[in-house]
Amino acid sequence: MATMKDIISSPLLLALVAGGLLYIVGFSLVYLKKAYTRCLELGISKEDLKSVIKSSLIFSIVPSLSIVVGLFALITVMGVVWSWWRLSVIGSLSYETMISSSVATAVGFENSAQMLEQASGRQFGVVMILMSVGMLSGFLVLIPFGKKLSKSVDKSDTGNTWKYVLSGTFMLCLFAVYIPVLIFGDTVQMLVMVTGLIIAVALGVLAKRPGLKWLNEFIMAFSMIGGMVSSLLWVSLFR
Amino acid sequence: MSKNTKTAVSMDPFQAWCHRWGRVGTVIALVYMIAIPFIVLAYYDSVPSLGEVINLSTVSILLIYIPVGFSEALSYTPILGCSAYLTFITGNIMNLKLPCAANAMKLAGREPNTPEGEAISSVAVAVCSIMTIIILALAALLSTWIMPVFELPAVKTASEYLIPALFGSLTLGLFASTNSGQKVVKNGIAGVVPILVIVSILALAVRILGGGSLFGAVGFLILFMLPIAIISSRIMWKKGIIKVVDRETGE
Repeated sequence: MATMKDIISSPLLLALVAGGLLYIVGFSLVYLKKAYTRCLELGISKEDLKSVIKSSLIFSIVPSLSIVVGLFALITVMGVVWSWWRLSVIGSLSYETMISSSVATAVGFENSAQMLEQASGRQFGVVMILMSVGMLSGFLVLIPFGKKLSKSVDKSDTGNTWKYVLSGTFMLCLFAVYIPVLIFGDTVQMLVMVTGLIIAVALGVLAKRPGLKWLNEFIMAFSMIGGMVSSLLWVSLFR
Repeated sequence: MSKNTKTAVSMDPFQAWCHRWGRVGTVIALVYMIAIPFIVLAYYDSVPSLGEVINLSTVSILLIYIPVGFSEALSYTPILGCSAYLTFITGNIMNLKLPCAANAMKLAGREPNTPEGEAISSVAVAVCSIMTIIILALAALLSTWIMPVFELPAVKTASEYLIPALFGSLTLGLFASTNSGQKVVKNGIAGVVPILVIVSILALAVRILGGGSLFGAVGFLILFMLPIAIISSRIMWKKGIIKVVDRETGE
């Protein structure tokens, strides 16, 4: 009878994961090519596109490294291949880490470490299936209604000003929920957010100076890193 | 007026491509993702029974995550537009893809929900997805050697504060983006004042009562607050509190 350890170190799983990742890279490349060509057709200059690509690459590094921290946490309980796959698709760092521990208790173990040692293949199968289907609910909305949702806020119809308001409401609502939660829920989170904001404002002011325009591409990456690094100070003071 | 209506019906070719082929590509990826565990488990003769997968304790876990998925799709799709398909497939939306798309639109001076904005955010999301996959692949392949660095307490602590740091840097972009494009939304923030008040009271109450932070419940909160934000914005727009003006007039 196969155990969880047999499955997480399975060459078949590795091959399927590699195939899936290649597909996603291919899908991203096709999207990139189509979007890039369309940007040029719409009059966005190559310089602007270059700047967007460079900034996106640089910006992606730090959040990706945070995901790597989560990857290593997950590897200790689920092995390299399955953790790698789960964090490369659909879910999110917080979701995968949370579901992996709650599912371990749901299938009868005290924690994920005990599951790794004792779980049978079938028990781990339950974990794999639940992790795979858990976040699919979003697609039940996106696939049938994605077009409708996007068009509901499309600004091409300039006669309808409500669409402009509605379009901004989604982002504003995200901020209106997150900001009070961050400010009133936890002192360190609040200070990290304020530090990130102050760095962003300072860099924004600096970027207006002649010769420092290049800073614009890095404002988000630098302020995010600054905010994260400041957490070490705030934690030492308030925890 | 009839001319305007006709313009609204026609769709940008890239948007049309995304809503057709992006959707097809997403369905293929989904089928593949669901198939992986079943193929591996069948090979090891370890496919669990339906009762093992669906029971009280597992369903209670799924019930926590199902609303989060709905919430993400309902709140992020209108912001991301046609780049939503690729974004949802590669995940990590709030902590990576959405800020990346917002940053790209700000840099290129384009607005969300326009053909230009959606094309430029698709470029950013695609680049970001490829970059993340490469970094994760390298990390997985080199895990034995690099794992100790990522297990340093300082690195772990800093990683826990990614979202607050992101919101700090994003807040600036939020105000900057409302000033781009041909039209300007005046007092848009008034529409979400009720949300700010409700969530502030909830967050304070939970903290005072010793319940800690609502951070883990943000997905639920957005799901409940989004309809309130839309209704409130609509009322204020009808009453003329929120206005949409031409950029020239607005300045």
